[in-house]
Amino acid sequence: QQRSVSGVVSGEGSPLAGVTVVLKGSTNGTSTDAEGRYTLSLSDAQANGTLVFSYIGFLSKEVAIAGQPTVNVTLQSDAKALDEIVVVGYGTQNKRDVTGSVASLDEKDFNAGPITSPLQQINGRAAGVNINQVGSEPGQAPSIRIRGITSLIGGNDPLVVVDGIQGDLNLLKQIPPSEIESIEILKDASATAIYGSRGAAGVVLVTTKKGSAGTTTVEYSGVGSVETIAKNYELLNASEYRAAAAARGIENTYDFGGDTDWVDAITRRGYTTTHNLAVSGGTENFTYRTSLTGILQQGIIKKSNSENYIARFQGMQSAFKDKLALTFNLNTSVLTNDFNNGGRIGEAINRRPTDPIYVENPLNKDTGPYFIDPNGFNYLNPVARTTEIVDGDRTNNLFGSLRAEYTILNGLTATAFGSWRKTDREYQNYISARTTQESARNLGVVPANLTGAERNLYIQNLPDGIASRELNSSDEKLFNFILNYKKEFGDHSIDVIGVNEWQQQVYNGFRASARGFTVDTENNLSSLQSSDPTLFQAGNITSYKSDRTLASFLGRVNYSFKDRYMLSASFRRDGSSVFGANNKWANFFAVSGAWRISEEAFMSGLDVMNDFKLRVGYGETGNQQGLGPLNSVRLVNNDGTVFFGGSVIPNFSITQNENRDLQWEVKKMYNAGIDFGFFEGKLSGTFDGYYGLTSDLLFDYAVPQPPYPFGTIKANIGEIMNKGLEASLSYILVDNENVGVTLAGNVSTTKTEVKELSGSLNGLPLETDYVVWASGGTTGVASTNNAISHLIIGQSLGTFYLFKHAGVDANGNQIIDDLNGDGVISDGNRENPDRYVAGQALPKFTWAFTPSARFKSFDLNMVVRGAHGHKIFNARRATMSALGSFGQTNMLKSALEDGINNLTYATDYWLEDGDFARLENLTLGYNVNTEKFGAVKSLRFSFTANNLFVITGYSGIDPELSTSGGSGFGVDYGIYPRTRSFALGINATF
Amino acid sequence: CTDLDEGIYGQQVADDFYATEAGVNAALANIYNEVRGDWNGKGIAGADRGWYDLNESSTDEMIIPRRSDGAWDDNGIWRAMYQHTWTGSQEFIGNTWNWLYRSIFKANLAVELLTKANADPARIAEAKVLRAYFYYMLMDGWGDIPFYTENNVTVDQIPQTPRAEVFKFIENELNANIDLLPTAKGGQFYGRFNKWAGYALLGKLYLNAQVYTGTPRWTEAIAASDKVINEGGFSLVQNLYDNAGSQAVFGDRLSDQEVILAVYVDALTAPRNIIGIRTLHGPHATALFGFSGWNGATVHQDFVNKYSEQDKRRDQWLIGPQPGGVTYNLNISSIDNAGMTDGARNAKFLPVPPFESNNSTSNDFPVFRYADVLLTKAEALLRSNGDQGTAKSLVNQVRNRAGLADITGTLTLNEIYDERGRELVWEGHRRQDMIRFGTFTAARAFKAQSSDKYKLFPIPAVAISNNPTLKQNPGY
Repeated sequence: QQRSVSGVVSGEGSPLAGVTVVLKGSTNGTSTDAEGRYTLSLSDAQANGTLVFSYIGFLSKEVAIAGQPTVNVTLQSDAKALDEIVVVGYGTQNKRDVTGSVASLDEKDFNAGPITSPLQQINGRAAGVNINQVGSEPGQAPSIRIRGITSLIGGNDPLVVVDGIQGDLNLLKQIPPSEIESIEILKDASATAIYGSRGAAGVVLVTTKKGSAGTTTVEYSGVGSVETIAKNYELLNASEYRAAAAARGIENTYDFGGDTDWVDAITRRGYTTTHNLAVSGGTENFTYRTSLTGILQQGIIKKSNSENYIARFQGMQSAFKDKLALTFNLNTSVLTNDFNNGGRIGEAINRRPTDPIYVENPLNKDTGPYFIDPNGFNYLNPVARTTEIVDGDRTNNLFGSLRAEYTILNGLTATAFGSWRKTDREYQNYISARTTQESARNLGVVPANLTGAERNLYIQNLPDGIASRELNSSDEKLFNFILNYKKEFGDHSIDVIGVNEWQQQVYNGFRASARGFTVDTENNLSSLQSSDPTLFQAGNITSYKSDRTLASFLGRVNYSFKDRYMLSASFRRDGSSVFGANNKWANFFAVSGAWRISEEAFMSGLDVMNDFKLRVGYGETGNQQGLGPLNSVRLVNNDGTVFFGGSVIPNFSITQNENRDLQWEVKKMYNAGIDFGFFEGKLSGTFDGYYGLTSDLLFDYAVPQPPYPFGTIKANIGEIMNKGLEASLSYILVDNENVGVTLAGNVSTTKTEVKELSGSLNGLPLETDYVVWASGGTTGVASTNNAISHLIIGQSLGTFYLFKHAGVDANGNQIIDDLNGDGVISDGNRENPDRYVAGQALPKFTWAFTPSARFKSFDLNMVVRGAHGHKIFNARRATMSALGSFGQTNMLKSALEDGINNLTYATDYWLEDGDFARLENLTLGYNVNTEKFGAVKSLRFSFTANNLFVITGYSGIDPELSTSGGSGFGVDYGIYPRTRSFALGINATF
Repeated sequence: CTDLDEGIYGQQVADDFYATEAGVNAALANIYNEVRGDWNGKGIAGADRGWYDLNESSTDEMIIPRRSDGAWDDNGIWRAMYQHTWTGSQEFIGNTWNWLYRSIFKANLAVELLTKANADPARIAEAKVLRAYFYYMLMDGWGDIPFYTENNVTVDQIPQTPRAEVFKFIENELNANIDLLPTAKGGQFYGRFNKWAGYALLGKLYLNAQVYTGTPRWTEAIAASDKVINEGGFSLVQNLYDNAGSQAVFGDRLSDQEVILAVYVDALTAPRNIIGIRTLHGPHATALFGFSGWNGATVHQDFVNKYSEQDKRRDQWLIGPQPGGVTYNLNISSIDNAGMTDGARNAKFLPVPPFESNNSTSNDFPVFRYADVLLTKAEALLRSNGDQGTAKSLVNQVRNRAGLADITGTLTLNEIYDERGRELVWEGHRRQDMIRFGTFTAARAFKAQSSDKYKLFPIPAVAISNNPTLKQNPGY
């Protein structure tokens, strides 16, 4: 006969989800649902057994069933691990023992809603971690910057480690957000130094969910969302345009009688749906979790879509009396994208509203029904371009890993870990004549003897279309061998790890394109050979291959005494193939310590203080992201063809200045912080301060021509500093059975400064100052005054260095303030007495307010976040305001009041405050009481609104622009529109 | 597991590559790749914003006005060229400087490799003459310039060398090497420096010697021209603007009979030439070729009026109704707001296929041609009080081909100046000619008298900031 026992497990005043409940001495077990409930089937014999309740951070509890049908349990929190286990490099640590700066987030901290990237889940949740979403292009993940910008061309993307597999940010695209258990972000060098030459920009450690022994659990979660454009440009409509043209005395030859809202014509409503189905379970020796995920996005711009399907399997087997633990991981995904990026908006807002979209008698027979201005040069019809293009890729990802951990002695384990990641990307692009792109139309040659109508007919029948296909593959292998010794001797606790690691990445691919097809259809992508062979060009077929190898030896010692004094030291030696011949090997190290003051006897009288820990650390890390393979040697590469010796032959050119001393960047960073918990943990928080210096800064330094054949050389010369303060606080206002309110938030400040950009190379001085970092402040293709932001010694990266606007003269020219009063406006993009430092592009501080509340079965979560102290150069507004091209392009309504004809100088007139506060995420959840549902263990509905409002003075469509640190950041050249979305979600466990 | 050698796959390490015979040949061929035009200021002619535009859009024979639809506004960069208000930050100037010094680096490399490999002396000479030609363009444009002939040096070993010294180097280098060059024309020497191209260059060097060094060298200019005239076997092609077939002076493949040095251009394999497509208005080009024109470069009516009605060369200026419903007006109303069809268009480089849409045609470009050599000798004779009759007959050869009668009266320098303009328009010679005749900075339509400093270009601002020892040209 089967009976069962059920009950609710709670702790610290609220139900606990995920508590493991096992019948002692058996494999019979389960875990609690979101409401803390569990039910366990029992045989007669087991009805008098004992249940073991265990949960991380709480003391395990054993309760005799004694034949009762209901056993409710309250678990005591484990004072020693009030804190959870935190994943650190190559291992785990109790949070209370952590000495570096680590942000640790688990599922309960994640944002809900139409999540398409793991980073969106933690946006706003960690101090010093800036997650930045520019526009809402399908498939575009946000960027992440940990503690600001510390490199120029060296790269600022953190290293991503998923269950031990190392990779770049693209690795995150292969992880279903809903399958993530926790994300740890290693922020300071004492924590990241263990990753050596890949650790400088921080490390994101992702741990995925695993199965647990007991009954089989089936989980489903799904989200559906509707998206609309949050804000549009205010452009002239057709009648306003005609009126303004007449007022300006422009001949009406521009007017083709249309009345078109081009942006409206290329956009639509967006939809995002996500589905995740996971099955997990197992026995005492074997547990597994497997899942299927679909993330489907239809973008706001027509024909921009993204579909990501991910399947994963994770299994753990223990053997040899639990001495051997095997963990097996297999993950495969297919990611498909259709591209129509923000450039489409740029084309649409530029088009005159007086142009029609369609015409009855097209100018060219091949261009379909689309209107083309017969007088235009390279006229592009935005609707045609958006809807007729075939442009997309499909990436097949596969990665797997196997970990074998063997306990040799008590406390001594040996682990072998290997991972293999392969991606294959297929890209296809077909530009038909119907896209109205002139380069794809009428390809080939008209015989010279034809004239008039005959000639015209011949032209109209020339072949059309450009087809391109590309294959890229990457193959990344990693193997490491780890020895770990953990032991407690009385008051002493020690954890020593030694690792030998080897990584190799191989990239290769090829591309072919062909032009001129008799029948102009995308089917030509499957038939490149049907193109016109006479139109073949050098470069229509290309291929490449490169590789990089990294070999490393590393070690770390963690020591703690009486749980009060913690010390950690790590060392890593990296050898990388991409470094110059003279610098193959590099050493990195870190030391850090912590003092848990609250454990001291003299603090025992202070009851309000539950936890108080002081941490300090120093570390050196490297950055080799910016170095591609073969950057250090002088290379000869195929460079098209050359006519020589009476025929066309392959041409070979040197491609770069050589620098055999090329090496990684070095970042040195100091960190100090405190972790605290007051009033029985009601008020808890963390403060951190850091100071970092990147030296041997990798940059494309300007070198004199002559004698260098190219104007820049990759070298390690300069230095940049960054420092900041971070605070996160959480206060539990109310916490009882029915009501809970927690106030939480974080604030970070960052200051980045260029310390040095000059130095010497091969013993000769190299002067690099006032480096142009972003340009395009005027509409001119290459005006000598169009530089916007610069790298200037003593200033923030990408400081706006501009001319000062002083009005508009009668001819519609901007009047420039002659700052040095010498009677002339000095010309030029570099150091210039008539330019001034007008502001910085990087926010001085960012904050997030993340309160949460629950009332009975309802819960409410919110993320409001903001950034302040920075400016945005609205280049989009500038180019849409130059009335000189009235008659050719559309204008912003505001342009008529501005009255500026030409943009000769990049002025502060277009510089605006970038401050904003955004309601990023508002989620209301309802947990259904499933007691009577039988098979359904838990059921939850949620409603999420994203980007409900933005408070900003910025006049562009969205103040959140790239602050990734690459050249051009902080300038609004136009983005994919940011959406506002409303989503319904469901989570069910069976 | 600690093998950290880099795999080298598609590319080759320079030291290894150039150690092979194929590599040595490639080093010479690679210089010619720099000679043809391409974006970013590369090449003698063909693409825009490089050497060609420095030497054309600064003169009276080319003007690129801002059009009434805002096209070619480009923040005044073209008007600055025409009106002589450019500065050291001007993009074309920096582009051209960088291109020339990159080319010199490549020529130095080729000289070094060919010498080391004990190559055919003709090939070593070819690389040296090419290098001299690049220095000639640098010295002509900038005056005192950094000078080096071996690559393995640091910037402190490259002093700014006076114009006269660079002149001396070019003179010596040409005199020492021209006679080693092959005398063959066309075939595998098409588009390459042969002996005749060497003398044509030497002739131009001497013709302008007074500008460069203060000392005229008319006798030497005559002697160099005579080498071409007496030994080269060239003659003028009678049908000047038939730009098809093997006898074309302008077109896909230039005549070996008249063109001494050509730049080979093919839109697909060796782009780029946009000179012809840049001048035509959109619908006009569309009607002719199926892709739109750029509606850019044109000419002021004052220049067109230098051609008499009988002058066949006047036909190269397209005026009035054209296919595609376009009618060009001879007169340009304004440099700031020209009508869409203002200005005559030039058909000298009327696009010949194959095309790369409107990004390149396949017109080859004549660097030196026989008519130029004839006029060079005539001018040198006239200026050195040489034989007037010979000078007149040389000019008449050029005039007769254009359908004009002989000059009967006294041949004046002014007539040679105008003849050079009419004959060589848009071929990249005008700036040098105007400077030599003292008309470059003079006032003309839409342009006021400009300062003498504009006879030299400023050293690019970037070059000075990267090498502060460089001295800027006077006045900038």
